[in-house]
Amino acid sequence: MNFIAFLSFSVLVIIILTLVFGITAYFLYKMRERQRRKGVDVATYEELKEEEGREYLFLDKVNLK
Amino acid sequence: MRIVIFLLLGLVIGLFYVWTFYDIKVVYDTFEHTFFRLSIILVAFFTFIVIFRYISFIFFSIMKMTQKTVSFTAANLAFRPRVTIIVPAYNEDVTIATSIKSLVNQTYTNLEIIIMDDGSKDKTYEIAKKFEGKFKGKDIKVLTKKNGGKSRALNFALERSSGDFIMCVDADSKLEPDAVALMVRYFQDPEIAAVAGSVFVSNRTNILTKLQALEYIEGLNMVRNGQAFLKLVNIIPGPIGMFRKSDILEIGGYSHDTFAEDADLTLKLIQKDRKIDFEPEAVAYTEAPDELLDLLKQRYRWTRGILQAIRKHSASLWNWKNFNFSFVLWYMLFEAIFWPFMDLFATMLLIYISTSQGVNTLLIYWWLLFSIVDVAGALYCILITNETKSLAFYAIFYRLYFIAIVNIAKIFSTIEEWFQIEMSWGKLDRKGGI
Repeated sequence: MNFIAFLSFSVLVIIILTLVFGITAYFLYKMRERQRRKGVDVATYEELKEEEGREYLFLDKVNLK
Repeated sequence: MRIVIFLLLGLVIGLFYVWTFYDIKVVYDTFEHTFFRLSIILVAFFTFIVIFRYISFIFFSIMKMTQKTVSFTAANLAFRPRVTIIVPAYNEDVTIATSIKSLVNQTYTNLEIIIMDDGSKDKTYEIAKKFEGKFKGKDIKVLTKKNGGKSRALNFALERSSGDFIMCVDADSKLEPDAVALMVRYFQDPEIAAVAGSVFVSNRTNILTKLQALEYIEGLNMVRNGQAFLKLVNIIPGPIGMFRKSDILEIGGYSHDTFAEDADLTLKLIQKDRKIDFEPEAVAYTEAPDELLDLLKQRYRWTRGILQAIRKHSASLWNWKNFNFSFVLWYMLFEAIFWPFMDLFATMLLIYISTSQGVNTLLIYWWLLFSIVDVAGALYCILITNETKSLAFYAIFYRLYFIAIVNIAKIFSTIEEWFQIEMSWGKLDRKGGI
């Protein structure tokens, strides 16, 4: 195998590995974001009001420090 | 001298281009199927466009450097209008103090600084509040509001600003002391609506951040310098950009319907036939993502934001009455969609040719052609920006790994934008690397 053909083969292998790596990384990123979103339970005042079925919601004051 | 270097560079690339095309022609002749022949022609055309783009930007960049030296020799130093710097901040307690200190150290004195806290959940507001008042001759205001996104925060601060010129600076950025003074000079020309500055990566801690450092100086600064020759810079970067307040107000401020409010604002200014320039010596340092998944998160948002901005103005794509605006839209579409898709298509085609016919030398010539352009572009940018010379070494990995991975993220983002899949802002966690 001559030098140019060897380089071509090396570039081919690197390109294929990079493509596989890039696609895997993208899906890992999407999976991480999904898990992060699940970890944060967010609800609006209106949603909670509907869930409780009351006209007003009374909140407890909590010291966050 | 620059022109001679440019001509030599053009000659080397041209020779390599002819060589590569000879190989493309050989491969073309071996295929008889129309699909493959058309694909090879498409890849050859795409290669020509990309090389032409690089050469054009280097050429325009050289021209812009020459033009700048001429226009500022007799700069009117008496031009010192009131400038307001707006720093929108959401959960930036790690970087906000460094950012504010870099602003109060500006050599330009007729300055108002507004720290606009967008309902942060951390200590951003408390830390910023300590700087409120008169600091080194600059007026510092710290405002807060319920969280509503960057564009709303910017508009809120804009309404409360006293300057005739507005500079927007990200809270995770740090400015060089002369940044404001250098940028404000451009507004002596009444046709200039905005000026972009240079962005450099401050946290060069691993190969990923070093590759981004190269991307920022080559992909962003060289391109902006080239675009500035035509006064058509298409994106004012978040870390450093200055605007004429009357122009922002005329177009209704920042819009809330895209995730790239900076690109959208710039497009609206170009649509109004206003000119946008670039000052390469006004420098901001920003913290780049140092992990691959964070980089993908950033690029995902950038791509979808830019596509949203283009979609908003899509009617002008086919309406060439405002030539500059249509041209900029097509250019942005090329960078955001055509290039990544064609790059992947060309790679897949070359893989197919190599696996079906044995490893072909076209692959190495094709890759080398782009790498030579990358290294040449990187060297040119390193020389004009006095950057670390060792960055040129990373140009070899730039095309092989970095561009390939970023393009994959761009392609998936484009598909998701096409199907209108819901997205959030995707704020990055700061590590204080500015």
